[in-house]
Amino acid sequence: MTKIIDLSIKEKTYKSKNSQLSILNNFNLEVAAGEKIAIVGESGVGKSSLLNIIGLIDRNYVGAYTLFGSITNSLHTSELAQWRNQKIGFVLQESALINSLTIEDNIKLPLLYAGSGKKEFKAEDFESVVDAIGIKPILKKKPLECSGGEKARAVFARGVIMKPQIILADEPTASLDVENKERIVTLLFKMNKKFSTTIITVTHDLEIANRHDRVIHLERSK
Amino acid sequence: MKVFKYFISKIFLRKAVLGISMILLLCMANYITFTSSRSILSTYQGYQETKYINQEGNYIANLDPDSHMDMGLINENGTQAVYSYLNSYYNYAFYVDGFIVSVPNVDDMEVHLSYMNEEYYKLKQFELLQGVDLGFDYQLDDEIPVLVGKGLSKTYPVGSTIRIEESAIGLPITLKVKGVLKQNAYHSNYYALNSKTYYNFSIFFPVNKDFINHANIDLQLNGLMDITILQTSEEGVADLSEVLKDNLGLDFNFFSQKENYDYFNEYYLHSLKIMAIITFVLLAVITCISVWNALVSVRLMLKDFTINLLVGLSYSKLRKIFYIYFGILSFINLAVVFIFTAFNRYGCWIRKDATFVTYGLFGLIGMDWLALLVVVLLNIIIGIMIVETMLRKIKRIPISLGVLQ
Amino acid sequence: MKKSLFRPADILELSAVYILCFSLNFAFDYVKTIDLDSYILKSYFRSFLEYQLLIVILFTFIVVVFHYQMLCGKKAEVFCRILVGDTAFHITIRYAMDCLLVLMFVYLLSTLVNVYWNFSLISNLHLVAIFITYILISAWQVRKYESF
Repeated sequence: MTKIIDLSIKEKTYKSKNSQLSILNNFNLEVAAGEKIAIVGESGVGKSSLLNIIGLIDRNYVGAYTLFGSITNSLHTSELAQWRNQKIGFVLQESALINSLTIEDNIKLPLLYAGSGKKEFKAEDFESVVDAIGIKPILKKKPLECSGGEKARAVFARGVIMKPQIILADEPTASLDVENKERIVTLLFKMNKKFSTTIITVTHDLEIANRHDRVIHLERSK
Repeated sequence: MKVFKYFISKIFLRKAVLGISMILLLCMANYITFTSSRSILSTYQGYQETKYINQEGNYIANLDPDSHMDMGLINENGTQAVYSYLNSYYNYAFYVDGFIVSVPNVDDMEVHLSYMNEEYYKLKQFELLQGVDLGFDYQLDDEIPVLVGKGLSKTYPVGSTIRIEESAIGLPITLKVKGVLKQNAYHSNYYALNSKTYYNFSIFFPVNKDFINHANIDLQLNGLMDITILQTSEEGVADLSEVLKDNLGLDFNFFSQKENYDYFNEYYLHSLKIMAIITFVLLAVITCISVWNALVSVRLMLKDFTINLLVGLSYSKLRKIFYIYFGILSFINLAVVFIFTAFNRYGCWIRKDATFVTYGLFGLIGMDWLALLVVVLLNIIIGIMIVETMLRKIKRIPISLGVLQ
Repeated sequence: MKKSLFRPADILELSAVYILCFSLNFAFDYVKTIDLDSYILKSYFRSFLEYQLLIVILFTFIVVVFHYQMLCGKKAEVFCRILVGDTAFHITIRYAMDCLLVLMFVYLLSTLVNVYWNFSLISNLHLVAIFITYILISAWQVRKYESF
């Protein structure tokens, strides 16, 4: 299978006024297209930081990162933004929605940045995603009027609307009940099966982690 | 107290922009209120003062605005004739202010002579700090009894003498200090009741008929400008007007008690009404902006407030915290207004502006303290409006939603 | 739905605070032109006119409050937009442009009022300079959200 992610982090540090925290020391990761990977580990080991690096949000680290055959360190911020829009989908916790927009506007937000001639998007695509996820009745509602499960599904819809090649999910089921949790995981895996989307999930739930192809245990740097 | 300290250090100060903006808005509201209140109080004091003079049967003179004054045509014979006529047929209150005289004193202030006759002195009912009332029975070559302001009494206490070159009669004369005026004794301008001349560095000079006869034309003419004819009638002042016209070529108006009151009511009340309306509109706008600022604070600090409510803070305690916080902001503003006013008052001492220097607690006079009291009342009203609006807003949002903001 | 961080309510709010500041300055200029015969009103207005510049500048702090609350309230939105393909740089530029547009609109409005009343056209320029400074400072703050 084609290798789409080749990441080598020598060091990632967070500095505060009085201290410096070092994480992900000498961490290497290779991911093939269509792979399902779970990242587990105790809080503070750098799971979300790793996801931010993979998702091209964070470039403040020492190391090298090749994505889809391109060295990301040399890419311009607008190119990174375009890749986040076209190739990467983020599925975060339910709170990552804009409260002043309706659920429909929140889901359609990536389309705003898609530009012309990049990736064709059809109205049917939106309909099919909305139908598949089962959020049609809440499209006109605002996030504050929705339940946790509904918001989680809306976040999921926004993450997959552009049919990305990689989905990065950061604790997507953390605050959900069993039924909604299962629904989100099923949808994630359906995407993987149907479009060969690469799935990288950060989770504390070992049951969910074990359903992935590979589980990476992150440990605290010494 | 512990909870309040926590709110100050961990919540309010973290969003200092909102606190600063509230202070600035309150500062404007306080300054507007303070200025307006002081103007109204000062006008009221002036109005009260005129009541001593403006009694039934009294007529206050005023040079007709259309009357052209040609000093070349006015001579001493003319003014003497007018005063002879006045002395023969009328009782009148005479007052002239503003003559500066060289009198060395510890504060190095210029000293003003205020000339007044017995009728004027009696009408105004000046209060004394020390000594006896002004005497009017003296000879020009004797020591002339005078009263001095509190500031001047430091250099010239009761019993001391002052040697001056008197400009109105052009002779060196000796003044004997008989009494000291109460601090901040003042005279209001009849045509601008909110404007005052303070007597702290003035000498009250008694004027009798002999003095007027020997005085120069400047003093005589100045005395006629605001002269008050006592216990007379329309016909009486009509005769006097003719005498003035014949001897000086000037048209004088004499206004009765009713005419003066009508003028005060029309002119001053109208001005005060406009001032009150402007003040009210400005305060309403500032209050609305302050409420907006408070709602912004709620929006940005909602999570902090609701998390504290979640872990045991009661709404009544939160209300108390808001009131104390607002009280502190109000206190800062009061301190600013206080310092600003004290600095302005102190500025008169620095500039040696003798007619405006005053004495008072921490530099502020009674009128300032009253205006500050009005400011405190306004702050209480604005405070209640803001705190209650904030609490209503917080109460309307479920704690669970606020925590998840 | 646009790429702007501004909603109609935000535009209205920003316009309102700009209008308030320009109105205050206009009110001062207007009072200067009134030929008052009332000494009380003259001295009352003088106590404000003496500090016109200071009062107007302090009053503009409400615009700082607007920018501050706007940016604090839009943190999540900026984050979401960057996630789905926007950049902090573009958001910053758009934010500054939107603010400038509203400012220009209100300034033009105030200029029209000044023309109508025969007031100096440059009497409001210092406010424009102050507001542009605020916009640049606040737009710079948007860039803080670039790294999470």
